[in-house]
Amino acid sequence: MSNVNAVTFTIVVVLFLVVTLTGFAAARWRRAEDMLHLNEWGLGGRGFGTFVAWFLLGGDLYTAYTFIAVPAAMFGAGAVTGYFAVAYTIIVFPIALIFLPRLWSIARVHHYVTPADFIRGRYGSRGLALAIAFTGILALMPYIALQLVGIQAVLTVMGVGTGSGNTFVKDLPLFIAFFVLAIFTYVSGLRAPALIAFIKDTLVYLMIIVAVLYLPTKVGGWGHIFSTAEAHMKTINPATHKPTGVFIPTTGNSQLAFSTLALGSALALMVYPHAVTAVLSTKRRDIIKRNMALLPLYSIMLGFIALLGYVALTDKVTAANVKKANNAQLAVPYLFQHLFPSWFTGIAFSAIVIGALVPAAIMAIAAANLFTRNIFKEFFKPDASPRLETKVAQWVSLIVKVGALVFAISLPKTFSINLQLLGGIWILQTFPAIVFGLFTRWFHRYALLAGWLAGMLYGTIAAYNVSTPTASHWGGSVNTLWGHTYYIGLTAVILNVAVTVVLTLVLRATRVPAGTDETSQPQYTADPADTPPPAPAAAVLGSDVSGGDLP
Amino acid sequence: MTQPSDTSRPSGGHRSPVAAHPVTSAVIAILILASIFFAVWVPLFASATPKIGDFPFFYAYLLIYMPVLGIVMWIVIMLQARLRPRAGAERRAGADGGEVAR
Repeated sequence: MSNVNAVTFTIVVVLFLVVTLTGFAAARWRRAEDMLHLNEWGLGGRGFGTFVAWFLLGGDLYTAYTFIAVPAAMFGAGAVTGYFAVAYTIIVFPIALIFLPRLWSIARVHHYVTPADFIRGRYGSRGLALAIAFTGILALMPYIALQLVGIQAVLTVMGVGTGSGNTFVKDLPLFIAFFVLAIFTYVSGLRAPALIAFIKDTLVYLMIIVAVLYLPTKVGGWGHIFSTAEAHMKTINPATHKPTGVFIPTTGNSQLAFSTLALGSALALMVYPHAVTAVLSTKRRDIIKRNMALLPLYSIMLGFIALLGYVALTDKVTAANVKKANNAQLAVPYLFQHLFPSWFTGIAFSAIVIGALVPAAIMAIAAANLFTRNIFKEFFKPDASPRLETKVAQWVSLIVKVGALVFAISLPKTFSINLQLLGGIWILQTFPAIVFGLFTRWFHRYALLAGWLAGMLYGTIAAYNVSTPTASHWGGSVNTLWGHTYYIGLTAVILNVAVTVVLTLVLRATRVPAGTDETSQPQYTADPADTPPPAPAAAVLGSDVSGGDLP
Repeated sequence: MTQPSDTSRPSGGHRSPVAAHPVTSAVIAILILASIFFAVWVPLFASATPKIGDFPFFYAYLLIYMPVLGIVMWIVIMLQARLRPRAGAERRAGADGGEVAR
């Protein structure tokens, strides 16, 4: 620990303590009469307004993926695997605006806590709901692991724990950070990340504004940065005998990879359970919509953070450090450490660590909600009281984090962005059931299940078979099909939809029971807060016209 | 899906919002589809020139897209509010004012 900068280290520790205290104090924030209810622990009382929701959603969707993985990908391979994230965070908002308000409304009317709750109610199918819940938990694992990798990158550059050859001692600071996260999530539920998100976003904005204005001047200006990056991407990589990366995607294949990665990621993001959790925690339907217009403000920041990958490439000392460590994840932390004064490095590092803790907490809560509602209560204890549900969810949130640790340790870390893309391949397979289901009951539940299975199998096998010169499996998230390069998630979901459509036609023709639908059309646009309290108007309306909605 | 039964009803009453405001609905659909299309159709902006400041066009385009998207999304939300039945809209306006004060 001899090379640890005392100032940087102290600031990170102090800010981490502030966040820890905030996490525990959050249990008292907007306190409800009965905190032992999943609506409270798992959804923060469903009472967040536009302002809190902006911070919570921002804190939820912009993660270590944004701060570490995207610039690392830019540093390593340029525009296609890195800058696509900017296009992705553009199209996610118009796509989300189409279906998220409907999901919010139907969840509010029927008190759904998870996306799988909705599937259960819409299709009357426990099997399909189980598939959705299982996929949600599975897909969250690599995403939480990505947050761990982000924290690890900062700790490594700080020099904390690297002095020892012992794995346990080496990763001890990471374990401590995650242990603390686990405990305050257990105690405070969704209120903790919601409150910490304020600190996170303040620090992140400060870090980015300073970084974008100050760092380019230190390395010779944006013009020099872009020309260096362009030259670097053209150099031939000795291992692959191909150019290192893509500066501007001009070939058909690189453009297709760029588009499908952006489109696939955008379709995936809002069906991730942690995104749904944050959405359902808001008080009113309009808040979701308003945030779809306000959150692009956050994405501008993502664009500039991505470009920090090129800044790191231009700074010779940083580039050399990263090369020596052979880990592109360290690009941004090394850049900050080299060019910022040590006190500001401390602030920036804290921003990244806290920026990983907030989404990790929400993801763990979302996974816990899924397990409790759609596996534990559904299959093991149908009469579970709200109190028991909350207890189970609290414990599961701990277990989920251990699972994520396993992912973080066992998968190759050369491109942590793949962790997110891998989760994306899986979660995308829930898109047809959830999003199509918000608009129509035409699709048959068994067809959706079969489509899901086909997409999961194809996606997993295809991702497993992607190899690079350094990794024989799980090497990436794009593969080549009929001479073109696509994001596996998108091809898998297309297969999924094709299977679903064909089987729906067959099952409807043979009149296989479609299951009961407990929802009705007007409920998808309802906001219970709009209607006078005594009569839950949406429900009354629903029973009137529900005939029009049944197959 | 509900359209067939709607058209058989007399105008007003329970007509679907889309059928009642075809132009507004079409504008909403076009704005949403366009904001997706212009971000994923890469050949449209995959070029180094014209440079905007020191930024190659490809990089500047997507950065400038963000604030424009925010404004377009805001317009879509405003238009969607006009699709709502009048009574609901009035109640909503009242509630919105209250929320700001809170």
